[in-house]
Amino acid sequence: MLKLLIEKELRDAFGSTKFVVTFAVSAVLVLLAFFTGAQNYHTQRAQYEAAVAESMRGMEGLTTQEYMMLRPLALLAPEPLAVLVSGVSNDIGRTTEVRGQGMLVAEGSRYSEQPIYAAFRILDLSFIFQVVLALFAILFAFDAISGEKERGTLRLSLANAVPRGTYLLGKYLGAFLAMTLALAVPLLLGCVILQVMDVPLSGADWGRLGLIVIGGMLYLGVVLGLALWVSASTQRSSTAFLVLLVCWIVGVLVWPRASVLLAGRAVEVPSRDAIMAEINRFQRQQFEESLSSLMDIIPRESGEDGPSAEAIEEFQKRQQELADAREAEGSAFRARVQEDRINRLRVQEQWALRAARLSPATTFSLASSTLAGTSLAMKERYQESTLAYQEAFDRYLREKSGSSQGGGIRIMLRSGDEDDEPEELINLQELPAFTTQPVLFGDVMGHALLDFGLLLLFNLISLAGGFVAFLRYDVR
Amino acid sequence: MTTTTTQPLLEAEHLTKRYEDGVLALDNVSFTVSPGQIYAMLGGNGAGKSTAINLFLNFIEPTDGEARIDGIASHRDPLAAKARVAYVSEQVRLYPSFTAIQNVDFFARLAGKTSYTREDYRQALLRVGLQPEAHDKRLKGFSKGMQQKTGIAIAILKDAPAILLDEPTSGLDPKAGREFVRLLQDLRDEGKAILMSTHDLFRAKEVADMVGIMNQGRLVMQRTRDELHGEDLEALYVRYMAGYMEG
Ligand SMILES: Nc1ncnc2c1ncn2[C@@H]1O[C@H](COP(=O)(O)OP(=O)(O)O)[C@@H](O)[C@H]1O
Ligand SMILES: [Mg+2]
Repeated sequence: MLKLLIEKELRDAFGSTKFVVTFAVSAVLVLLAFFTGAQNYHTQRAQYEAAVAESMRGMEGLTTQEYMMLRPLALLAPEPLAVLVSGVSNDIGRTTEVRGQGMLVAEGSRYSEQPIYAAFRILDLSFIFQVVLALFAILFAFDAISGEKERGTLRLSLANAVPRGTYLLGKYLGAFLAMTLALAVPLLLGCVILQVMDVPLSGADWGRLGLIVIGGMLYLGVVLGLALWVSASTQRSSTAFLVLLVCWIVGVLVWPRASVLLAGRAVEVPSRDAIMAEINRFQRQQFEESLSSLMDIIPRESGEDGPSAEAIEEFQKRQQELADAREAEGSAFRARVQEDRINRLRVQEQWALRAARLSPATTFSLASSTLAGTSLAMKERYQESTLAYQEAFDRYLREKSGSSQGGGIRIMLRSGDEDDEPEELINLQELPAFTTQPVLFGDVMGHALLDFGLLLLFNLISLAGGFVAFLRYDVR
Repeated sequence: MTTTTTQPLLEAEHLTKRYEDGVLALDNVSFTVSPGQIYAMLGGNGAGKSTAINLFLNFIEPTDGEARIDGIASHRDPLAAKARVAYVSEQVRLYPSFTAIQNVDFFARLAGKTSYTREDYRQALLRVGLQPEAHDKRLKGFSKGMQQKTGIAIAILKDAPAILLDEPTSGLDPKAGREFVRLLQDLRDEGKAILMSTHDLFRAKEVADMVGIMNQGRLVMQRTRDELHGEDLEALYVRYMAGYMEG
């Protein structure tokens, strides 16, 4: 019976112009997303490689006397899945100038460099599912029940020994299967495009992509379930369509933003500028203090030749000690202030995310960006990578030059015969290379599974709602 | 079939329906239809004919009394009751993107009839007067009458002991109407219990074994074919409608 109902739904869908046209359009969009995604990936890759080369070139010609002037760039490499689910990947800074010490600031997000993209955002797979396909699902299913009623086929069907629950389930599964089949073709073709266009995807990447698509289908299932529910709660198709349109606007456009606003109201977080000002104040004060203490120990001239070599050495040592102490104190302060801010941010973020997940559209978008590695965690991942790199770089510096890049007064000891020694260049090959921590499949799976569970729950809720409504539906 | 002639297949017993808005659409109506019998329910618009049929199909719940099919009260065990009855509604439109064969095939299998062949479907469609060249055409281009015929074929294919017809002739032209009457007579001869609502006095008189006249939810007159013999049904109809108004 269920099989028969599903078969009928499929035949009905594929025979209807409305369905064929909407899904031809979605097929084009999906293919476009894959194609432009693959293209973007290669463009970004080229840009990235050029930037890496440029950064190396900028450091060429430095001599071993000039370790302190090394400013390697930690560049965020483009990731293949990020072009399909851009998430925050275009919003976060991708370039970090790394010093041995001090705060690192990532700059140069893609949107800041190509604001035109920021103005229109990116048409990626996640967007197509979340916005376009959801709308098409609504278009496809808003009259699922009322349409049958208007044709008289609902009466005719239910004049048989067909339980209403079975009938509704048949509608739901049939519509779901029709959408899945209609989307399978462009999605598979999209994968072929990725292959043909040489986008390097590992086995785990394919797995993540597969899960993103499954998440998308789960989300469309929710939309279909909701459409059936509304369709079974209204007597007229036009009313059902209006109600669903409002649901779509609220769920896709309004609610995610509203939840961020609400969380912003609920948890206060000092601005970044305020924090920077506080840190600057502290550092200025610290610097003044250390300067005066340096003045006390600065070696006085002991004869015509200036301070003795021992005195200078002593001074250098002392100065390094002071610098180290200051650095330790400073970084402790920075850490404290920043940690406080980050904690508040986390709380705020968590509330925003929790609230936003009440909309299935957001749940899907979060799941897909988590899987693609472009969720908010991407920024942290990059930050942690740059911090790890900073440590490696600092170690390298200390090893090579014997001191860090902390601030301070540097006294260059120049002996008369310096010109005789050939200047040795820094071997940039030895400079540690920057790599971003990879997205760990297990990690993202854990998070995504939670969202998948939530999407499943939404499916069940919408089905149950539809069932209750349909039991009371006037089929005449 | 053993005791089918004595046991009525369709029974309305004190059937009463008051809609949520207070309209009393059916007021204590009782009648029976036995196998091999055609019952014509006559009445103007709003008389309560569709309400009675919908009660048999459990599309609505009775306020009082019950509608039984083969002894099963529809509102108690709707699935069992509906398994025993075929239904033709007024203005069937079916699935426009399916062919006539695909439509009848879907509904036949929905009714649990899985052993039909394509040839059986063709036979059924021919029997209701749908020309062979239309059998494999999509219903999109079908006239009202052709769709109605397809709907009747669906009811025949269900092969249930009872048939409910709600103004089945409304979409048919006179020729098709005449063919339909013959078809009904065949079905009766096969032993089906047929309940048909109509406001077509002429056809009612032609085929009905029993005629009931409904007015404002009440069954105001009920006569067998023999009792009607020689009487002018039209005059009776007008008289009963008027009489009811007075009373
Ligand atoms: N869903 C409903 N809600 C309220 N009143 C209804 C409803 N359906 C029918 N009626 C009323 O019940 C009465 C009988 O209707 P119906 O059974 O359709 O008559 P018929 O089929 O004989 O034309 C009419 O007065 C009609 O307006
Ligand atoms: Mg009616």
